[in-house]
Amino acid sequence: MTGERPIELVLLEMILLMLLGPLATGTIQKIKARLQCRQGAGILQPYRDLTKLFRKGTVQADSASGFFRSIPVLVLAATVAAGALVPVVRAGPPAFPLGDAVMLLGLLALARFLTAVGALDAGGAFGGMGASREMTIAPLVEPVLMMVVFSTAIAAGTTELGALAAHRGTSWFLAWRAADFLGFAAMLLLLPAETGRIPVDNPDTHLELTMLHEGMLLEHSGPGLGCMVLASHTRQIVTLGLVSALFFPVGPVEGAGATGFLLGAASFASKILVLAIYLALVESSYAKLRLFRVPQYLGVGFVCALVALALRIL
Amino acid sequence: MDVDSGPSLMAACYGAGALLSLLLARWSGRLALAVAHLAALSGAVAGVGVSLGVLLGPPGRTLTQPLPVLFPFARLSLSVDGLSAYFLLVISLVAIAAAIYGPAYLRAHSPDAGSARQAAQGLALNVFLGCMAFLCCAGDALTFLFCWEGMTLASYVLVVSDDRDGENARAGLLYMVMAHGGTALLLVAFLALTERAGAFDFAALRAAARALDPATRTTLFFLALGGFAAKAGVVPFHVWLPRAHPAAPSHVSALMSGVMLKVAIYGILRFAFDLLAPVAGPLPFSWGWTVLFVGTTSAVLGVLYALQQHDLKRLLAFHSVENIGIILIGVGLAMILWRQDGAGGALATVALTAALLHTLNHAAFKGLLFLGAGSVLCRTHVRNMEELGGLARRMPWTAGLFLLGAVAISALPPLNGFVSEWLTFQALLGSATRFHGPAGLVIVFSAAMLALTGGLAAACFVKAFGVTFLGRPRTPHAEHATEAPPSMIAGMVWLGALCVALGVAPGYAMRLLDAPTTNLLHGPGASVVVTARGPLVLSTALTSSGTNGTAISMTMVAALLIALAAIAWVLRRGWQPAKRRVAPTWTCGMRPTARFDYTATAFAKPLRLVFEALYHPRREVTRETAGTPYVFRRIHYAGEVVDLAETQIYHRVERDIAALSQAIRAKSTGRIYGYIGFVLGALFVALLLSGLGR
Repeated sequence: MTGERPIELVLLEMILLMLLGPLATGTIQKIKARLQCRQGAGILQPYRDLTKLFRKGTVQADSASGFFRSIPVLVLAATVAAGALVPVVRAGPPAFPLGDAVMLLGLLALARFLTAVGALDAGGAFGGMGASREMTIAPLVEPVLMMVVFSTAIAAGTTELGALAAHRGTSWFLAWRAADFLGFAAMLLLLPAETGRIPVDNPDTHLELTMLHEGMLLEHSGPGLGCMVLASHTRQIVTLGLVSALFFPVGPVEGAGATGFLLGAASFASKILVLAIYLALVESSYAKLRLFRVPQYLGVGFVCALVALALRIL
Repeated sequence: MDVDSGPSLMAACYGAGALLSLLLARWSGRLALAVAHLAALSGAVAGVGVSLGVLLGPPGRTLTQPLPVLFPFARLSLSVDGLSAYFLLVISLVAIAAAIYGPAYLRAHSPDAGSARQAAQGLALNVFLGCMAFLCCAGDALTFLFCWEGMTLASYVLVVSDDRDGENARAGLLYMVMAHGGTALLLVAFLALTERAGAFDFAALRAAARALDPATRTTLFFLALGGFAAKAGVVPFHVWLPRAHPAAPSHVSALMSGVMLKVAIYGILRFAFDLLAPVAGPLPFSWGWTVLFVGTTSAVLGVLYALQQHDLKRLLAFHSVENIGIILIGVGLAMILWRQDGAGGALATVALTAALLHTLNHAAFKGLLFLGAGSVLCRTHVRNMEELGGLARRMPWTAGLFLLGAVAISALPPLNGFVSEWLTFQALLGSATRFHGPAGLVIVFSAAMLALTGGLAAACFVKAFGVTFLGRPRTPHAEHATEAPPSMIAGMVWLGALCVALGVAPGYAMRLLDAPTTNLLHGPGASVVVTARGPLVLSTALTSSGTNGTAISMTMVAALLIALAAIAWVLRRGWQPAKRRVAPTWTCGMRPTARFDYTATAFAKPLRLVFEALYHPRREVTRETAGTPYVFRRIHYAGEVVDLAETQIYHRVERDIAALSQAIRAKSTGRIYGYIGFVLGALFVALLLSGLGR
């Protein structure tokens, strides 16, 4: 078991996650473009988009209330705070307790709640549509995600992600048990839903028939939109980080000093890259599901997670 | 002042409030209401004093006081132990907010009320609060039942006090029927015990219950559980709740939903862990599992039906069903785990802590939400949220506080709802590792349902807040709304502050939970188990060895959130903060009107289709065409979601009773000889039965 992570390291990891979030998105976009035989924009494109947004002015809807302006701020804060709960370069609990997996899901849910509230604020039909659909899918995703977390947490005896990762140690596929495979399968099914990608949502369009998350952002503009976009990049990498903490907490065992940090960061980056390739492959090879097919899709995930849990406690 | 004189001070305040509102109403109804609420406020403050005195006093302290002798056959007494004091605290904290909020609300909501109605409201409010407070302090069965009945009657008066269209009278009737059905079950349970004990006080009942055989013990427990469940609004006994709670004045709704249901929880805890508990060994297997099952069902069905409500107060009432379910999950787990070997004791404490903390949390945020709904109601006189909208610009304080309550009830960090749900999750997870096999699976399923409940509650409150407060006003009622008076906002701020404090620094509240948990479980107290690492950290041990603890710090997360929000605020200002303009919302080039806003029906539609099997939604669309079938002149839409319990259970029973009455009516000819014949026949059958029984 690795030691505790000092609080500076936790904050550093959080900042790292936030800074690398757009890069993960850029990578996925690039891979998708190559799979579609396009050149595609560079992997740094999300950063350029963000700087562009932060330089722009704001147009605010006339019917929006006073809450509207603070929504992007709070959404970004909640999402980045969730990032502080994911172990990145090293396993082990933080030196001062912060939060566990339930808290992480709670913070992401808070961000989603506020986003949906903001979508209803401007009073357009698109925002309402996005919010309604997002809040339909989210309650169905959450229990499954919670059960996947529990299926690994029961083995480790803790829901604190750092401690959980440390308990799991460097177990690789060969050491996995049936419950791990099923839980991982459920997680793979959930990943597109939680990161807002095909087959559940389509991040590339603003067409009202397909959109969930993008619909909620329509009335945000300029720096506010920038905050929302940055939050969704961060959310994606935090979710990927959660997967890696639950299933592949492989990293350098003793990592004090700069080399340990760099090695840890590199191994984390490679795990994120693998998951990014998975997401790009799924997005390129499937069509978006009809909204009312999504519960069935998530039902498959639910059964996988339930069986994983059952195997764990039987 | 000494804590010992607290109960008499409380009684004096509530009693004076009740009497003075009757006397003063002859001169001025307004004065009567003001005095009644002032008395209620001082009674509640005295209640806080008494409960804090017991909770923070020396461990194991029980405040016992004899009551004046009313009946020659029974000694009445008060006995305030840790559990009583905790529930007294919950009641008093919400009562303070209701007493501050009440006068202005009643004035604004029904300015034309006659002084008789105002006198009745003042009287009933004080009787209601007094009965609830003394019910928790009761030291004998008779006082308990007296207060129980007084609480029911006073709340009935409050429910029907605001009658405009007869709807409230019907709701009140249903409430009375359900409440008295429950009371009947309770009476049987109490009488069975008192008969064995030969006395009414709880100590004697406790001693008598030791000698019970397991079958009788379990029967009595289920009788009591049935009685309390009817009061708590547990599925399928919840049908009265969404009708009666919205009918009462809003601050009374807050008390009924936030506090009165908790009195039933108090009763369940008192019976299960204290009065009926076996001398040694765990509670019977069936008790805890039944409570867990009932709790899970209530949580999920409560929130699912809440989602489809468009009446703001009705929606909140259904959420009370949900939250009572969440509390019962904790209670059930504590019953299952109590006195199990190993670390079961510590885990039982975690489960009970979760239940008790959720009791307080729910009282705070549900009280806040009902008061918020009341502010909307008294300014717009509309409860249907489809006719509201745009209130955030007109009532910013109410909107902000309602949003706070919405975040808290949706179990989102950093507010208090999250803390108790986190503890419930930890207790569930811990017991899943303990019970292998099907039992573990049930618990895990319960955890998944709790997660589903949280997600659905968030969806429901996005709808409730968004449709009511955001967008454009849909009707003139909403358009001309103004902010609520300061005293009403003050009442809400008090509860909102409680929500924040219990969310950001829950560790300090654990100190209050020490007395009730040790009192009931005779094990380690809440703060020893949950805040072992200092008041800033909540920690639990999932495995029996207790090595791998899970620890979170709400305070640190809240601090992190605030710091990050400050940074993000700077970021959001952008490079060019000056460039800001206001423009209409994008509606594809058309002129935006309130009809572009998403309605509550539309918002909940996807979930209505996903959970169709539970809703049986009815939908009627009629189109009026003008000559050709392609041009519509008018489309009429009617949709409805039925409550399964109502159609499957209550309507059937109602039909059967009606059929039976019809059959009896056919036999009643109106001739006196016929009736004498019936009486003789009944007497004969009764004598025959008693003879057979001997």
